[in-house]
Amino acid sequence: MNKIKIIINIIFGALLYAGNTGEGSLIPDLDLKLLNGETTTINQLLEDGPLLIDFWATWCKPCKKVMKHLDRYDMAYGDKGFKVLMINQDTPRSMGKVRSYIRSQKYQFLVGLDPNQKIAQKLNGMVMPTLILVDKDGLIQWRHQGYMPGEEVEIEDQIRSVLGLNDAIK
Amino acid sequence: MLSNNQYFIKFLKLFYSLLIFSNLFGIDFDYNAAVTSSYGDNYDFYSYSENRLDLNLFLNDLHTWVQYEYSNPPEIGFPINDIRKFRIEYEKHNYSIKIGDIYEFWGRGLVLNQIDDQATNFDNGTRGIFLGYSNGRLSFNHINGKSDIWISGPDRLPIFQNSHSIVANMVQFNLKSAYLGLTHLHSNELHEFSSGDTHINHNLYGVHGFWAIQNIDMSFEYVDKRSMEKSLSLGANPHEPLKNGYGFYGNINLYLGDWGLSTEYKRYSFDKSETFFTSDDYGNRISFQLMPTLVREQNFSLLNRVAHQYNYNDERGFQFELNGALPFGYTIVSQYSHLSRNNEWNVINTPTDWSDQKIDNILPSSKESSLPYYESYNEISGYHLNDKLFFRLGYANNKEISELFRYFDGYQIDNISFWKYDTTIDSSFAEYDYYPEIIDSTFIESFSDSYKVESKSWQESKSMTIPFELTYSFDNGYSIGMSYEYQERKKMNVSKGNSDSFNYSDSTWALINPDNYDEYFEDNQSQIRDGRKTQFNRLVSLTLSKANKWSFSLSHDHTNAFIGGVQKDTYYNPIEALIYGDIKYFTGGREKGELPSFIQKRWLSMELSYNIGSSQRVSIMYGSIQGGLFCSNGVCRQIAPFNDGIKITYSAIF
Repeated sequence: MNKIKIIINIIFGALLYAGNTGEGSLIPDLDLKLLNGETTTINQLLEDGPLLIDFWATWCKPCKKVMKHLDRYDMAYGDKGFKVLMINQDTPRSMGKVRSYIRSQKYQFLVGLDPNQKIAQKLNGMVMPTLILVDKDGLIQWRHQGYMPGEEVEIEDQIRSVLGLNDAIK
Repeated sequence: MLSNNQYFIKFLKLFYSLLIFSNLFGIDFDYNAAVTSSYGDNYDFYSYSENRLDLNLFLNDLHTWVQYEYSNPPEIGFPINDIRKFRIEYEKHNYSIKIGDIYEFWGRGLVLNQIDDQATNFDNGTRGIFLGYSNGRLSFNHINGKSDIWISGPDRLPIFQNSHSIVANMVQFNLKSAYLGLTHLHSNELHEFSSGDTHINHNLYGVHGFWAIQNIDMSFEYVDKRSMEKSLSLGANPHEPLKNGYGFYGNINLYLGDWGLSTEYKRYSFDKSETFFTSDDYGNRISFQLMPTLVREQNFSLLNRVAHQYNYNDERGFQFELNGALPFGYTIVSQYSHLSRNNEWNVINTPTDWSDQKIDNILPSSKESSLPYYESYNEISGYHLNDKLFFRLGYANNKEISELFRYFDGYQIDNISFWKYDTTIDSSFAEYDYYPEIIDSTFIESFSDSYKVESKSWQESKSMTIPFELTYSFDNGYSIGMSYEYQERKKMNVSKGNSDSFNYSDSTWALINPDNYDEYFEDNQSQIRDGRKTQFNRLVSLTLSKANKWSFSLSHDHTNAFIGGVQKDTYYNPIEALIYGDIKYFTGGREKGELPSFIQKRWLSMELSYNIGSSQRVSIMYGSIQGGLFCSNGVCRQIAPFNDGIKITYSAIF
């Protein structure tokens, strides 16, 4: 009977959230350590404009595929204050290769380090890739798990929408 | 007494009340949640049901995390119906305090690297308190608590539990592009054996640093570890020194244009042995020390199955990895790694009398007696046709000496002493016409010339793998993908030399040809079943997907022979029957006892994933999956085969 109650409670909880799916909730102001050695916070990054957060690792195949597009959007909409923050979850096994990979790909976006998933846990980014789009006011406007080829169109639509560029790319 | 379920229901009610309360009174209260549910059942009764709910609550500077799990049973580990993890954090200005389940990571993990890895059921978190201070230039961390760390065995349930009461401190000095940290960890461990428990006291002192300039950056970490064992024997010292050890890791990265070269070196020396360790070893590296392994973290299935089983206690080596951009947007990765033990092992006197000799330089050794491991991986990838076509082609090799059976390379002198008998006639009784024979014996001590004896035997594994991946994206959101992995694998017991056995009766190595010291042999006994010398593995996957909606994939895994123990494939599923045209399967004439030859050593499965909106995803897998070695975060486990079963996974973030 208790198990049924638990399931009912979880479903109730899910329905309770279903209306906003976390979208519109405020992102916490977390401390971040960047790949270049500097430290910052989510709120500092939001001062210029919206932020797209993505969780990745060097061994994650779909993560690497979407990074190419995210770097393109970071450059394309950077003049409107938009930034991409790639939070890396490589463990000590492979974290020595993160800089080398980013440099060789000439990626311009910001890279944060989260080797024991402290940030991922707080933002529910344990599945890779997980994208979280935050507007300038710190409100989460969109979340997405996984990446399949072609989804970069939807990602760009969402970025344009949060930037107020309503002519979504078709 | 309230049951666990009742506690959780109370917790949910409290949570919903908080939500309603915060909404009504406009309190600045934020939250997010994630739900993961997975269910699996198959022909071999390998069933599981795992459900986890993660809740994060944020109220100004306060953060609360709660993870509830209802798993009966989980895929691996013990059944649970309880609040599994929780933590309350408060951060204000330069100070932070955390109470609950603490997971911290210092330096490169030589002293402390705490993770909760569900895939391998490894959790070395500490339940206790964390205090932190940071003013940017200086930071200080303190941890105090208890960790119960379960050590997995070959089956689904863990077999040993080691409890650590720890106190750990770190102070770090930070500059803009450099830092230097000092660490200390003290642990009182209750170590569980198959035959009992023992109390061990560990002290770890570490230093780590990082420095970066324009085109170069470097980092390092060193730890010194000392362990004492509590002695309960009458008259003995209360604490006996048990084991001392150290570990060093260094990493230098160089950048030039679009090219990056990563170089890593490690030397971990906490204990030593001529063969692999078992979970019963104690006093060596403790479970908080999850250090860089210096092998490549692979994301192709066949490469994961031949992963190196690291030895954190006794291993040294280096790794190079080059990442670079080529014309036409191609990128390449080239990696090479060479590891070995810190000592070379030889037998002296008898085959079980092992003696070690330290390698006299800082590099790994290539001699079989140091159990070396080699790995190389080269990959090229890129896009074509306006970025619609993506390809990735790899080429990987590895070789490992996994175990020494005997290793003697020296000289032997045969004892060829003998008794010399002289017969003389005793004529003192001649008057009686009696002439007895007197036998005089003389021991003649003699030895042969010294000659070279070589008697070596070890287990060796080699593999060559070619993975290939191709994806094409259409304009309408559809994409198709194909992945093919080909692997040749050998595993053999190698024997070589001019002696293949030891004669215990006279304590000498027995030559294969006693009349010819220079006659040598080499024998390779394949460990692949069915008399095969090479195992051929092929894994093909086809994927069709619609962006933002669904993805469907079909996988076919095939091998020609098994290695070692039986991974019995005694059942075949409808997909396998359909693909191989076995109509009898569907008309009631299915082979139920013996597997038809056409489907033996093949595993077919299909998986459909569907996105319910952008934040919920469900996937259903049906079919069979071959078992094998799975490694993650430096922890490896053997995955059991999954025969003719279904797996359902649901994940959602709110």
